Parts: sequence; structure tokens; C-alpha cells
Amino acid sequence: MIKRLTLSLAALALALPGAALAQQADTSTKHVGVIGTVPQMCFGGTLNGSDTFDLGILIDTTTGQLRSDLNASPKILVGSMCTSRSTITVTATPLTAQGFTVAPPTGFSSAVDYTATASGWTATPASYNTAAAANAAATQGRATAFTGDITVAISDFATTGGNALRLVADEDYRGLVTVTLAAVN
Amino acid sequence: MKRLVSLAILALALPAAPALAQDSATGTVGIDGRVTPVCILGDPDPALVDLGQISESSGPRTCKIRTISPQVVRLPASFCNFAGSVVRVSTTALTSSDTTAPQPGFSRAVNYTATATNWAAGSSAATSAALRDGTSPTASGLGSTQPLPRIADITVTLTNFTTPGDLILVAGNYSGTVVVTLGPAAVPD
Repeated sequence: MIKRLTLSLAALALALPGAALAQQADTSTKHVGVIGTVPQMCFGGTLNGSDTFDLGILIDTTTGQLRSDLNASPKILVGSMCTSRSTITVTATPLTAQGFTVAPPTGFSSAVDYTATASGWTATPASYNTAAAANAAATQGRATAFTGDITVAISDFATTGGNALRLVADEDYRGLVTVTLAAVN
Repeated sequence: MKRLVSLAILALALPAAPALAQDSATGTVGIDGRVTPVCILGDPDPALVDLGQISESSGPRTCKIRTISPQVVRLPASFCNFAGSVVRVSTTALTSSDTTAPQPGFSRAVNYTATATNWAAGSSAATSAALRDGTSPTASGLGSTQPLPRIADITVTLTNFTTPGDLILVAGNYSGTVVVTLGPAAVPD
């Protein structure tokens, strides 16, 4: 009886370690998640050089009318960027006489219209004409994040009311071009 | 004096009496057992490292990765009950959930170094080296062997957060993973 008991215990002792080794790993693994976010952001870039288009004398002094050869070197917004898809919008205000603020006499005008464009961001440049009733092309979309330079130019100058009008004398005709980059969801 | 001697003899004689009876037997029973080699890592604290916004909002590094302080994760009371264990650390770079290939100048990956300490001499470290498009995000490193059974708090520190080429980060939610493995040195993975 005692002998039989001894054999039974030995068999049990042999069986248990085998089962344990097969089922219990001797390696442990843990995972740690790491998360972060990058918000949608746009940066308008740094204006290269002066922040003003200086057109000089606006009129042909022999006629008193707007010069037909007005031009200005483009301005470059260097290092503009958006971290997501975006839109670029350009708006502009006419060049207007800052001193002569009353209604100009018949035959005169105190404002000059023009077209402002922002190119380099989208396949079709954003453009805005100050004389237009609507500017559908003023906003252009880009489907991807982007970084690059935006070229801002002004052109197509025209006397408000018609090029036959003369511009009233004023030391300071001033307009403003605004370029806006906006992240889009 | 004689009386005292008689009592002593009686005391010696009594225990011998049952053996002489021959009505029982004595046997021996062996007891065998084993302790399997086991390693258990403590639950990571924290289990999720939330870096928040990882890009600069202003200044010359706008939209590039900001300076991120070291992030510490503890795995308390980790142990191996055998000699010859080792810690392996694997890192997967943070990548944006938007898997679109980034435009030139942008990155959708953030690399970092994970270093596990307090197990053996030295440390276990791995630095991810994902490319800007998020490919090849995983790296792993093995520490030195712990020569004794050990129980200790293993510390994993995440440092050196960088983007490939220090590029601008694409907007989005980023995620990565650190995998810590504790096991026998002979089977490091």
C-alpha cells in the first residue's frame, strides 16, 4: 500500500512541470503608446524687401492721365507654409488720393484700379481686380500641405471711372493688397 | 542513591517497548516540484504618453517640431526569477494618421529614442529612424544581461524627438509605440 502511494506521487511530480513549461512564457512584453498632434497652421511668410509697391508718378505729365507704362516689381512672401490643405485669398483696395478726399470735379478721378495677383501657391493664381463687382478668382484652393514662396504682383492699372479722366493731384495715392492663407479641414 | 538509579533505567526502557511490538512500518515519500523561469513586467505608468502639440506655434521654428522634454514611463516591480535576463526596447516612430505621402519640405514622422534603465548594467536603447514619409519607422535595442534573478522598477525614458531633416510637420494626429520585452538573454525577441 505504501509502495503504491509513492509511485503515484512521483508520476504527478513528473507531469506538472511539463504542463507548466508548455503554458507559461518566460518572456513578458508591454506596450506604451505615444501620441501627439500637429495643428493646422499657416504662416504667411516673410516679405522680401520693402512692404510697399512704389509706383512713383502715376500720370503722364503731358496729358494728366494715368501712365500706360505703370509697373512695379513683384513682392515675394518667402517661406510661406500651411501644414494642411488650404486656401489662398487675395484682396485689394484701389489706389486713392489720401489728401483729396472730396468728390473729384467732372473730368477728374481720385482713384486708380488695378489687379493684384498671388501666384506660386496654387496652379491658378489668386487674383482680385479692384474695379470688378465680383472676384470669383480671388480665392484658390490647394489640396495638400505646402511650403514655398508667394509672388504678389499688381498690374492692369486703370483710372477709376475711365482712363479718359485726369487724376487729381495728390502727394499720396495709397492702396492695399492683402494675401490670406487659411487652413482648411 | 540506589533508588535513583532504578528510576533512570525505567525511563530508558519504556520508549523501546513499542518497537519491539512489530505492528507498524515506516516508509518515505518524496516530494518533487519545479519553478519555471518567469519574467513579468509591471504595467507601464503611464500606459500612454500624450505629448500634446508637438509643433511650434510661433517664431523661427513655426510648424517645426518643438522642444519636447524627456518623457518617463515606469514599469514597477518588474521581475525575472532566473539568472540571465535581458531587456529589449523597440520603438516605432510617431507618424501621422494621414498616410498620404507628404509634399516636399514636409514630414509625417517624428523619431525619438527610448531608453530602458535599472535592469542590468548599462541600458537598453533604440532610436527610430523613420523617413519623412513614415517608412522604416521601427528600431530596437538590446541591453546587457542581468546575471541574477531581479525585481526592480524599470524606467523607460523617451528623448531626442526630431523630424527627418527638421522638416515642417504635416498637420494631424500622430502616434507611435514603445514595446518593452523582458526575457531570457538566449531568446532576446
